[in-house]
Amino acid sequence: MKTGNNNILKRIIGTLAIPGIALVIALLVCSNQGVILFETQGNWILFLRATASVMLTTFALSLNLNSGRFDFSIGSIALVSSVISATICINAGLPTPAMLFISIVAGGVLGLCSGLVYVLIKLPPIIVSLGVALFYEGLAFAITDGYGVSFVANQELTSFTNSPWNYVGVIVVALIVFIFILDYTKFGYEYKALVSGQKVAVNTGINEVKNAVGCYAISGALMGVVGFLSATNSGTVQMALNFGSIGTMFTAFLPMFIGGFIGRFCNEKIGYLLGAMTTALMSLTYARLLVDSSVQQIITAVVLVLFLIYLNNENKVIELVMIKNRLKKK
Amino acid sequence: MKKFWALLLTVAMTLTMLVGCGGGSGEGTEAGGIDTSKTVKMGILISDATSAEALAFQNYYREYIGKQYNVELIYSDVLVDAAGEKSAVDTMITNNCKAIISFSSFDRAAQIQQCQDAGVYYAIATGTLTEEEYETYKGYEYYVGAIGPSLDVEFQTGYDMAKHYLDQGKTNFAIFGGAIPYYTEMHIYRAAGMLTAMVEAGGEGANYKGAADAGAIIGQIFADGGVDVTSIGNINIVGYVGGYDMTDAWWGAVGQMTGTAGLEVILAVGNGSDFFGTGIANTDIEIASVDAYAETYGEAMKGDSLHYLAGKFSASIGPIFVATYRAALGDPVRTAEGNALALSQGYWIATSADEFDTYYSVDSSIESPAYTKDVLDTLLTASYDDFAKFVGAYSFEEIQAMK
Repeated sequence: MKTGNNNILKRIIGTLAIPGIALVIALLVCSNQGVILFETQGNWILFLRATASVMLTTFALSLNLNSGRFDFSIGSIALVSSVISATICINAGLPTPAMLFISIVAGGVLGLCSGLVYVLIKLPPIIVSLGVALFYEGLAFAITDGYGVSFVANQELTSFTNSPWNYVGVIVVALIVFIFILDYTKFGYEYKALVSGQKVAVNTGINEVKNAVGCYAISGALMGVVGFLSATNSGTVQMALNFGSIGTMFTAFLPMFIGGFIGRFCNEKIGYLLGAMTTALMSLTYARLLVDSSVQQIITAVVLVLFLIYLNNENKVIELVMIKNRLKKK
Repeated sequence: MKKFWALLLTVAMTLTMLVGCGGGSGEGTEAGGIDTSKTVKMGILISDATSAEALAFQNYYREYIGKQYNVELIYSDVLVDAAGEKSAVDTMITNNCKAIISFSSFDRAAQIQQCQDAGVYYAIATGTLTEEEYETYKGYEYYVGAIGPSLDVEFQTGYDMAKHYLDQGKTNFAIFGGAIPYYTEMHIYRAAGMLTAMVEAGGEGANYKGAADAGAIIGQIFADGGVDVTSIGNINIVGYVGGYDMTDAWWGAVGQMTGTAGLEVILAVGNGSDFFGTGIANTDIEIASVDAYAETYGEAMKGDSLHYLAGKFSASIGPIFVATYRAALGDPVRTAEGNALALSQGYWIATSADEFDTYYSVDSSIESPAYTKDVLDTLLTASYDDFAKFVGAYSFEEIQAMK
């Protein structure tokens, strides 16, 4: 019984340690500067929007990356889906929920196309995704004649940013749907089997091509939501060319590594959420303290590198601690 | 009989040649000492394909200039660094371009030198060289020059923008610094103009971090790489955001700035409405921007998300085209001392949606833009003084009067 309680305690500590430490550091740093971290509703909105956006990007990235498919096109899918949804809604006078729905559908279709290109061409995914990213960036440019989309003055479509609960809704629904798809469906079981060992999984009759295309489509739909969140936040969709959309993908690496670590103690998807919350806390702290962007980049890079160093040398660290404990006992 | 056929053939060939030289807009005419019958191949270097300003400029060249004049315009890819510029210039030289007009400014000096060495005329499409750079290159035979807002004009633009609101009694401002953190001179000078106007309006002894004149304020911004949230006498800068990071932290800072208590006006050194427009919805906060005349800004003005626009007009790049065209045809425009052009041009200011619409309808027209061919053709034979006078008369009303 005691061992069982210890295990639960260990899992709770392991799950909450990183976001907890990040929160304490953020609160201490802000307090030291005489700033309240969560002072206004706007601060909550920033935190929740960043959490939602980064969590969805992490889901989208990890879905393919866990299977060894590096997908550079996810940022461009967010771009094109938001261009399509915003353009349709502006012209047809549709409300915000319609924009969200169209973004998800458009993202899903774009992801599906990306997946089909990958399985048909059979080139390494890293190369295919670069080509797809360039194509989608060009597509967005062509649709808007390069001007992007602006609906700053459209109070209906930009109203999504007014309430933090909208973002809470996005986070909760996306998390539940993602966990359901990967943990409670045939597709999810097959996905996990393929991640664990593709050859064995294929020999058991799993269709890896179908599963890969499905992953791309789901990833695209998730990025459709990211595009929606970004567009409704600013009221504009700015164009990106020459791989300008790739940056979106990199926001997901730190939370993905953190999520992977936390995933040892709980569901990996919840780990991704907590990883996204950790990076959102960092973003909020930067914003509250008006930290210079170059300093932000340095801090984020240092945190990422230190975390990767730890992950790569975890066994050595544990060994060192054990040796130290043994020596102490002697 | 043989003589008759020979004569007939000669007449037919002569007629064919004459017909071949005629027809087509802008072809086969003599303008002053220039033979415009020759098609001039020109390269256009592009480094931005997505901003409203860049799109408007390119639209004017592609849809109007390229069709009105006997020129073949070759556009580069979107350039992202100095190496790309060098490669694009090489390609254009290899393709026998007689002149290059550049919108790309990663390494101006290298571009000018490369063109000088190759004997290809080079012009800066918009913007100007620094005084030091101009002194270095003004005597280069193949450097045509630059026409665009000088740093003095940029300073004045920021000054006028801030003064517009100071005169209305506004006292609480936020500044969007655009590319100030990347030390972009035109943005620094616009911000310095804003701060200088605040110092003048701030009352006895007002200063910005101890700086009370334009030169000192410019120096202070260069030293800091930004603008501080501070008071200038009885004028307050209650918020500042710089850069174009577009990260969550950056958007957070943007959101915080628009939510600052007491904020009345956001003065942007570049495009402000796209970043702050949603944040000021349902408030009395006003936004002032510097950019170009694009449809979206008209909508922003109508939707109360933009209230003041100092915008470049797309046809402002017409005169530098004519100067380059003339140079390529053997009649470059030079100062009395034989130097390259360095002429300054300013912005059109719109403070209402109606004013914006008036300017935009002209600026966006590809049938009758601000500078039409007829208007520009007057520059084909103009002396330097007339050329300078033409460029200096850049207000909307002055240009309309030329038509």
